[in-house]
Amino acid sequence: MNEQPDVVVVGAGPAGLAAAATLGRHGADVLVVDEQQRPGGQIYRQPPAGFTRPGRQAKAGRALLAEAESTPNVRWLPDSTAWGVFGTRAGLDDYAGPAPGPGRIRVGVHTPDGGRVLEPSALVLTAGAYDLPVPFPGWTLPGVLTAGGVQTFVKAQGLLPGHRFVLAGGHPLLLVVAAQLVDAGARVVEVAFSQHPRVLLPGPRDLLAAFGSAGKLAEGAAALRTLRRARVPIRFGTVIRSAHGDDALDSVNMSRVDSGGVLMPGTERIVGCDVLALGYGFVPSTELARQAGCAVDWRPGEGGWVVAHDAWMRTSVPGVSVAGELTGVAGAEQAEVEGRLAAYGTLQALGLLDADRASALARPVRRVLARRRRFAAAVLSRFAPAPATLGALVTDETVLCRCEEVRAGDIRQALAEHPHLGTANAVKLVTRAGMGLCQGRSCAPAVCGLIAAQTGRTPEQVGTFTAQPPVKPVPLDALAAAERHA
Amino acid sequence: MAHYDTAVVGGGLLGCAVAWHLARAGTRVLLVEKDQLNRHASGQNAGSLHFQLEYRMVEHGDDAAREAARALPLHLDAMRAWAGLEAALGEPCGVAQRGGLMLAETPAEVAALDRKAALEREHGLDVDVLEGARLRDLAPYLAESVRAAAHLPGEGKANPRLVTPAFARAATRHGAELRTGHRVTALHRDGGRWHLHAEGRADTADTVVLAAGVWTTELAAMADTRLPVFPVGLTMSATARTAPLLPHLIQHVGRRLSMKQTPEGNILLGGGWPAKLVTRQGRIDLDHNPELRYESLTGNADAARVVPAVMHLPVIRSWSGMTTLTPDQLPLLGAVPRRPGLYVATGGSAFTLGPTYARLLAATLLGAQPDLPLDGYSPARFGALNFV
Repeated sequence: MNEQPDVVVVGAGPAGLAAAATLGRHGADVLVVDEQQRPGGQIYRQPPAGFTRPGRQAKAGRALLAEAESTPNVRWLPDSTAWGVFGTRAGLDDYAGPAPGPGRIRVGVHTPDGGRVLEPSALVLTAGAYDLPVPFPGWTLPGVLTAGGVQTFVKAQGLLPGHRFVLAGGHPLLLVVAAQLVDAGARVVEVAFSQHPRVLLPGPRDLLAAFGSAGKLAEGAAALRTLRRARVPIRFGTVIRSAHGDDALDSVNMSRVDSGGVLMPGTERIVGCDVLALGYGFVPSTELARQAGCAVDWRPGEGGWVVAHDAWMRTSVPGVSVAGELTGVAGAEQAEVEGRLAAYGTLQALGLLDADRASALARPVRRVLARRRRFAAAVLSRFAPAPATLGALVTDETVLCRCEEVRAGDIRQALAEHPHLGTANAVKLVTRAGMGLCQGRSCAPAVCGLIAAQTGRTPEQVGTFTAQPPVKPVPLDALAAAERHA
Repeated sequence: MAHYDTAVVGGGLLGCAVAWHLARAGTRVLLVEKDQLNRHASGQNAGSLHFQLEYRMVEHGDDAAREAARALPLHLDAMRAWAGLEAALGEPCGVAQRGGLMLAETPAEVAALDRKAALEREHGLDVDVLEGARLRDLAPYLAESVRAAAHLPGEGKANPRLVTPAFARAATRHGAELRTGHRVTALHRDGGRWHLHAEGRADTADTVVLAAGVWTTELAAMADTRLPVFPVGLTMSATARTAPLLPHLIQHVGRRLSMKQTPEGNILLGGGWPAKLVTRQGRIDLDHNPELRYESLTGNADAARVVPAVMHLPVIRSWSGMTTLTPDQLPLLGAVPRRPGLYVATGGSAFTLGPTYARLLAATLLGAQPDLPLDGYSPARFGALNFV
């Protein structure tokens, strides 16, 4: 690519697709950087090109995909990772290498063809969310997967990662994944929700909010029918206490919790399975935004740390906007309208849309957004797992950071030995928790929660691990061969 | 309000080490740190123990190298100090001195390496320039492009996560009082004593040691004196773990590079690649970590090609830190002229040479004659700044 795009959109899920289509339609030159082979994100995931599979496709996203893929001015960079945003802070930069042009943001991208440096005028981050990792004894055994991971096997590859499945957690996605497994011929032994029914099953409008769109709600209803037909037991107020097996999972220990989320003694039972799919909810994927310097807020009901933004989805960093789950986990429909809003804001900054026209275009979008946010605020926190439940599952022996094999007891001991420790970064430096290949993604919520509980500090005081480039691992030779202007 | 023999400002390696030396000599020591211990340069550097002259000291020609070589007696002393440090402190600091290699790839670099080694040998450093089979036998992992390497057996690494906390704990065991989260806001001498204000407390001390790195200038100004130090932003990167393949510390005579493998297996990269000092309203903000630069991250990765086996490894994090330089790149060490009882210790490889700086400075404070001449590092050489 010879000329730099006006806008780089990171992520091709609902928010990224909507942003790219809207930007392109109004004359912006857009480049979409996405880690998958084909656009759609996790929720509208398409099978790889040339791979056709009977059964349900990503119906709900088809219109949006078609819109984005047919928009002129939108180019795609699939299989690619945006690993760092540079030049967003004022400072002394008098060493080797020219600064990006005025008003340009530098983005490092790892592509199958090598390292690239993009210099757009604006950046729209729509990196989505990932499964909330929940540690308990045995969670690192092979066979313990995330519900999202199991869904990827089934949806993208048509594969079953095992034979006997238990699904557990707190998110309604479990029902959808369980039904997809049943449809694919798997034996689903049980679906267990940690919440009690009266917490979990409010009115239909609330469910709509939880599923993120009417299409998803219909999918949920269909899933329930499928599970009922297959006589799959769905239990509430039930958690996985521990997972067992020598080299791989062979059973789980399930236990009831009371309505306050506290484990009830004497209710344990052992259930045989070779796959445990966990779906406790989602964590906003804020690492690139945080690395770029965007301010974040703590919103436990929306997945934890979310990127702060104004009414046009602009972050605290000039030129950088956000949309979708990294502003708070709220589902596909909200992601899509936020993507359009971020586009209208960006188009104004690019001079491609005047303020009056942007406001007029944004009006119907804002109405949808206001409706969505009302429900989200009231409802989504119900699906967030109770911190008391999750904290009680962790024993001193439980590994929190699987990359560096740091156990909860190691962190408790470090906190006891160093009374001045109180932040996620300081604990990382002392214990190595979060220093591994996953860059802290699989341990940050649990480690930060433990520090807060142990020291009596607030989540804001504890913070989270600083996001550093590369925000996803990039091989040294790819960095070495990357495009450089110096 | 309490009175101490000595107040140390700064909870990095130097401050904690000075506090340890003074406390174990039986003096009453207070250490104040505005953040947490080991929060800045001491904990953020890549942990190289490099006793050869660095790339930054030889890149500006032979005269500059000769100037920098004036600190070599300290290098020799520090090489011995690190070897005995874990025993002295009674806990592990990740010290491993299995040798260091400074590489040359072009004929000009080989010549530079030879000149540098000759200069170092004049000062008693046991440097040997290896080529051919001798080099390949010692370091079979090097790329074919490497023509020669200066080998110093006493070089290696230490773990920056462990060293400063170990000094701090040892100081505490000997009775030193450590206060973190206390930022000094006033420092003046009155009635023969230094008065120190921090976090609403006012304490006094007979002597004060500024071991505050890039904050030295600002603290000295509180005592109405000028000490010139400059912040420099640096870049470090780490790969995922891999099996042991790199026993040595690797540097390059013609490029910015330091490379080593941690006991856990990660490859650490550094060597002086700049990071951008962040400004606020046009002034350098010392409390903000420098911003990492795209060109530094990719350039540092490119410099790693001298060890081909590391190139397939994923880089999993990078970080920036600030180091402190003086105008002549030499340390700033000793009594501050015309400010009785005020001492300073900073500048010039203060991690690698920190244990030596701390020992010599503590000896000065305790009234002993330091066993290495410190005159060349005295703040007096910048006295002109204070004659106005």
